[in-house]
Amino acid sequence: MKNWIGPAAIALLAGAAGWHSGLALSTYGLMEGAIRRLADGTGVNVMKYGALPTPANQPVVRPSPDLAYSSCPYDLSDGPVLVKVVPVPGRYSSLSIFNARTDVVFVRNDQQAKEKPFEVVIAREGQQVPAGKQVVRVGYDRGIALIRLLLNAPSDIKTLDPVRRQSSCHRI
Amino acid sequence: MKAWHRYALGVIVGLAAGGGAAWQATGKGFDHGAISNGPWTTSLTYGTNSTDPLTRAAVARRGLLALPATETVYWAANKDSEGRPLDGSCSYAMTGPALDSRWWSVTFYDREGYLVANPANIWSFSGASIAPEEKGGWRVTIAPAKPASGHWLPSVKGQPFELTLRMYNPGPGFMKAPDKAVLPVLKREACA
Repeated sequence: MKNWIGPAAIALLAGAAGWHSGLALSTYGLMEGAIRRLADGTGVNVMKYGALPTPANQPVVRPSPDLAYSSCPYDLSDGPVLVKVVPVPGRYSSLSIFNARTDVVFVRNDQQAKEKPFEVVIAREGQQVPAGKQVVRVGYDRGIALIRLLLNAPSDIKTLDPVRRQSSCHRI
Repeated sequence: MKAWHRYALGVIVGLAAGGGAAWQATGKGFDHGAISNGPWTTSLTYGTNSTDPLTRAAVARRGLLALPATETVYWAANKDSEGRPLDGSCSYAMTGPALDSRWWSVTFYDREGYLVANPANIWSFSGASIAPEEKGGWRVTIAPAKPASGHWLPSVKGQPFELTLRMYNPGPGFMKAPDKAVLPVLKREACA
């Protein structure tokens, strides 16, 4: 039995390492999976104007069927990314910027923006950005900028889609 | 068995047990560091860098891209107000007043957090559906079959489910004491 004391202690340490690694892999792995799914067909640093969530269209877990999602999966490895948001007057919308760890590093809704269009540059520390732009510095290259637009009914998308398509993102 | 075999076995067993426990823990839902209010639970740290690693991983798995509480509070319920698991073979009366937020909705998901097909193509009920005379109190029937009258949120017979209550731009009164806020009641009425 004495021969197993050392291995048992190692097993406990490995268990703790496995626990923390499992949590980290879940977090970063699931986020990377979402980035890849949202970038499928269009690539990164492009705004994708998603179809309304339905049982047949759920690129991300727990979507709200009351929201139109526009997503910009970004990759800053070749430079900063500019996100332009055009709110719909009188209608809830928000831009949220998530880093690779799933944390929100920036959020602004339509009321905070006074229902006016705004631009945000996402950049790593040390990357040069145009003067006069609002900058959000992030600690990872990859993440997702997400625009939520509230629909009172699914049919709203017919009139609101042209407006939301004025929002965009691209590398600068 | 040689000594290094025993140590290697210890490492393998430990990693597998730790990793498996993490995966199991993140699949339970949103009970980590939770605020409870009737059948509903939430945390005010979702989506923030102050979230603990377990909550962050659980949200990544069950509610990726959640907003911080200053923007949206997400309540989850997988039991009725008497603590019984939500069951698609039963009908429920969900009742409550208008909630203290700019906008709110309750969405029906399976136990993995995905929308479920139903013939009516209805997956949520929102405050926008409430008539002015219902501001003081509204009722939604959650059941597989459409009720003779009133609001309806379809469920799927035989399938366990969970609900997510989203409160966008919650009011300051609510944020002071979310555990004491008046939230919808989930009362089981009948089971097939």
